[in-house]
Amino acid sequence: MRFHFCGDLDCPDWVLAEISILAKLTSIKMKLLCAQVMKDMLGSGIDYEKVYKLTTDAKFELGDVKASIAALTFIFSSAAKYSVEGEALSNELQQLGLPKEHSVALCKVYEDSLGKLQEELKFKSLRLSHLESAQWRVDYVIGSSKLKELNEPAVQLRLKIRNPDTDQVEPVAFNLSADKFRVFLSELKQAQTAMEGLS
Amino acid sequence: MLLMLEDEHKEHLAFLTSVGLDVVQEFCKISLGFIKKGSNPKMYQAAASKLGVDAETVMHGVEGLMYLFTESSKLMVNEIDFQDSIMTLGFPEDLKGLLLQQYLENRKEIRCILSEMSMDLPQYHNLEWRFDVKLASRSLKHQIDPTILLKLHIADSGERHTQVLQTDPSNLVHMTNVLDKALQEMKSQHCRRIVRNI
Repeated sequence: MRFHFCGDLDCPDWVLAEISILAKLTSIKMKLLCAQVMKDMLGSGIDYEKVYKLTTDAKFELGDVKASIAALTFIFSSAAKYSVEGEALSNELQQLGLPKEHSVALCKVYEDSLGKLQEELKFKSLRLSHLESAQWRVDYVIGSSKLKELNEPAVQLRLKIRNPDTDQVEPVAFNLSADKFRVFLSELKQAQTAMEGLS
Repeated sequence: MLLMLEDEHKEHLAFLTSVGLDVVQEFCKISLGFIKKGSNPKMYQAAASKLGVDAETVMHGVEGLMYLFTESSKLMVNEIDFQDSIMTLGFPEDLKGLLLQQYLENRKEIRCILSEMSMDLPQYHNLEWRFDVKLASRSLKHQIDPTILLKLHIADSGERHTQVLQTDPSNLVHMTNVLDKALQEMKSQHCRRIVRNI
């Protein structure tokens, strides 16, 4: 069975198993649980106390709670990844066995936050490094130990680069003479025109 | 399988005959606690002052017990062999019975701890990927060059490392084919026979 929200592949077995567990919740509790999971995915953190309160009525064990949060996270992130619409997602979940009210509640939460979720996923996508800030300074070198009268301008650039793995900001500083700086600037301007041609 | 105890070990354990049975019980408990959580030298000092002997003797006694228990658990010695092995120490009957009982109660747990201590290879943690198309570079404009960037996260004895890799699409297709074939290998006759018999 091919599902759009799984990228036209089969739905994983563990998600199928979890759907039968999720069906045990009432649809209102389902909506609140989806809201909590969505809040977690948007970065605000999940309130486990509330989740426990919601699931104790349906007598979920600890393993069930973890599994249902994982299944909902998978469904939301996978559907956002393939940009599935709310209606289509609702249909597919009903095909998998999730009751109609639950699917509708889930898809409402999904549609409301789809834009924000996709932004968050774009932010978390793989990037090798981020440029945090760039600082510059123009110096005029009057002389040095090698030559008494130098009289040349020089540019100092300091780029702050953030490593996404360690979240540490490292400075990269270097010095440029006037000619080198002119070449550097023209190359960057060429890259900028190429980028503007695309966006 | 009989345990062969070295002379030094026997000397250390000989100290246990000189103290009462409840003290040996206490020592057994301490040594099992040390096996589970690591040793605490301060306990030796306190026990030594209570018994009126050297801290070093106490330390040897407890460590001798720890070694006895871990070696017997490692080799999965059965009751009779354990009793035969400690017979050479010349312990009184009740002491032997106590040691045997402690061994049998705790050997499963000790084996669990020992299994976690074995050699560990780096483990896969996560794989992030990104599909890029290189449209221009400083040396060549107006090109189309698809590349795939992979970031492999690995956990190596608790520490996380990342490795960045780059590949082109044909190489990626080849890689997925090779990995698919490896998974298929699990379903072959040979592997199925082995898995059934474990």
